[in-house]
Amino acid sequence: MSTRISASLVVNENAEIACMACGHALGPSGESWKEAACFSETTLKGAGGKPYSNAANVLLRRFYCPGCAALLDSETALAGDPFLNDVVQI
Amino acid sequence: MDPITFSIIRHRLYRVIDEAVITLKHVSGSAITNEGHDLMVSLYRADGSLLMGGVGFLHHLTSAAEACKAIIRRFEGRINPGDVFLTNCPYTAALHTSDVYLVSPIHYEGELVAWSACFVHVYDIGAMVPGGFSPDSRDIFTEGFSSPGLKLVDRGEMNADIMDTLLNMVRAPEMVALDLSSMIAANNVARERMVALVDKYDPKRVDQACQMLVDQSEQNFRDRLRELPDGRWESRQYFDIEKETYRVLLAMTKKSDTLTFDFTGSSPQSKYGINCAYWAAWGGFFAPLFPLLCYDITWNDGVLRPISMIAPEGTIVNCTRPAPISLATVGAIQSVNNAACICISKMLSASEKYAKEATAVWHGSHFAIFMFGQNQKGQEAIGIMTETFGGAGGGRSFADGVDVGGEIPNPIGRMANVETTESHFPVRYLFRRATRDSGGPGKYRGGTALEYAIQQHDSPDGGINYVVSGKGTKFSMSDGLGGGFPGAPCNFRWVHNNEAVEAGKNVNPFAMSPEQMTGEQESISWGVFPLMDQDVLYVRSDGGGGYGDPLMREPEKIARDVREGNVSQGVGREVYGVVLDAEGGVDAAASTAARDAIRVGRLSQEAAE
Repeated sequence: MSTRISASLVVNENAEIACMACGHALGPSGESWKEAACFSETTLKGAGGKPYSNAANVLLRRFYCPGCAALLDSETALAGDPFLNDVVQI
Repeated sequence: MDPITFSIIRHRLYRVIDEAVITLKHVSGSAITNEGHDLMVSLYRADGSLLMGGVGFLHHLTSAAEACKAIIRRFEGRINPGDVFLTNCPYTAALHTSDVYLVSPIHYEGELVAWSACFVHVYDIGAMVPGGFSPDSRDIFTEGFSSPGLKLVDRGEMNADIMDTLLNMVRAPEMVALDLSSMIAANNVARERMVALVDKYDPKRVDQACQMLVDQSEQNFRDRLRELPDGRWESRQYFDIEKETYRVLLAMTKKSDTLTFDFTGSSPQSKYGINCAYWAAWGGFFAPLFPLLCYDITWNDGVLRPISMIAPEGTIVNCTRPAPISLATVGAIQSVNNAACICISKMLSASEKYAKEATAVWHGSHFAIFMFGQNQKGQEAIGIMTETFGGAGGGRSFADGVDVGGEIPNPIGRMANVETTESHFPVRYLFRRATRDSGGPGKYRGGTALEYAIQQHDSPDGGINYVVSGKGTKFSMSDGLGGGFPGAPCNFRWVHNNEAVEAGKNVNPFAMSPEQMTGEQESISWGVFPLMDQDVLYVRSDGGGGYGDPLMREPEKIARDVREGNVSQGVGREVYGVVLDAEGGVDAAASTAARDAIRVGRLSQEAAE
């Protein structure tokens, strides 16, 4: 029995945060999971089509499931700013 | 009280507001009110607390409560039937000086039973720049008339000296007088209808019903919060003014039946007027909270009770006087709207029951253009390009964002048609349309942004001036959700066709895109600029945030997007992994291969640690 904690993540029966799509575990519930994800950080400028071309130095961070490559979350950031950290109590 | 009577009274309160809004619109003569619906009417209890929130910009519902309370404190013992009070001081309750609150006590047989309050963004307020947005102001003293409270109407009689003083300090006083008249009329109608309601049902029963309504909202909202998981969610907004970058940081904590919004870490207050004061930040997160969490709960003081806010003094979300504040509504307040939308939506996403209510950010950045100058009729024309109310919808858990779909903080916002604008300002549109590839990619993509270009036309002065108060040109402010990408940033360009003509180049008077324009294109985002002769102003709003993984979008939807001009084939292939054949249909095999290749690329990335 798993419990949903975001649009893409669940907490599984072992109290681990896991990918909703494939069940790949990403770490203990209540802690940050992003460090365990595959991670890409590119300029937002190149993330979409032409209308994104004037996005200056902002970065688009994407966090992927190491098990199935599902995109679990994304966020924009300036270089050096910490990951956004969401914690759901189960 | 029997539930039928309670329900009748509750619905009568709704209708009181509806009728007051209709009255306000009938009397007002400005496009920002009638077309943009930059307005609000609500009802308040005798102590000034919110009784029934109306429509319009929702961050005003709570701020107007503070306006009522400030008036109660200031005029204690001098509040009489037929009075109308005015306040527009941002350090008292208002959001910025242009949003003038008129609040009226409602008496029944001599007893104060309620208040009605409304606002419009008045035609002018006497700031450095016509229209009220004042990018060159460095303190509130140059942002126009500002009052912490005055009695505009005394027992039904206009205080002419006050009205004349106010009108003496603004441009186009006849239009400002009409704005104020529209609000007086709205409050009059609200008062008459409330008195009729009290008269029919008895003051004690109405008071009892109102108390029950507030208690019911509190109970229902606390029940809803208890259904949602406890946790802490973060969001972050960047925005740029000139060469400076600001952050609004939000950590929202939900514990049992309470919510705390903590803005600790947000940037220090700015020298530019994009700051907001305490009550504006407070109202700022209620704007998404009311529709996202309380869509079936009456918006009143009961909803406020489980909420607390931490907004450190001296920051961009709680600036101290005399910091400039004239652009708060399109500055820090909107970032508070956006940040709260994401935190609330993340919380909703953590619930099986409520996940469907989650949404990426709608219309993260107002692309406000205020025009001013003589129009083709010889009139002084001041006003906003109402396209700023036509932002792009955010992707939701079940559907794409609405293209050019408006914004959450104002459920009734809309923009004027081209002809209305051309009849008021000496301009002609070269084009106005949705923008391809502007919606944030996702399983459900963000709504497409708006783009338009205008040129002066038939101006007695050879053109007109405009104020650009654009943030979001370097940063996307419409964040995605659940992996969805943010929408594309805004863009403002001054196309120097006049220089092109002087250089002997041909200028295309019917250019249908920036690429077809001859003159040099200068990116602008902040300040006052001329629109003269053959120069062009090009404006593009930000796209809505996307929801979910773009690789999960049904390929047929990409084919449709490409067919309808919302997504290019290149983005369809590179971002969504959907390849189309020569006829525009989905090439299933090629698409599978493209998506597989993207997934391999994803898995080749290192872990973040």
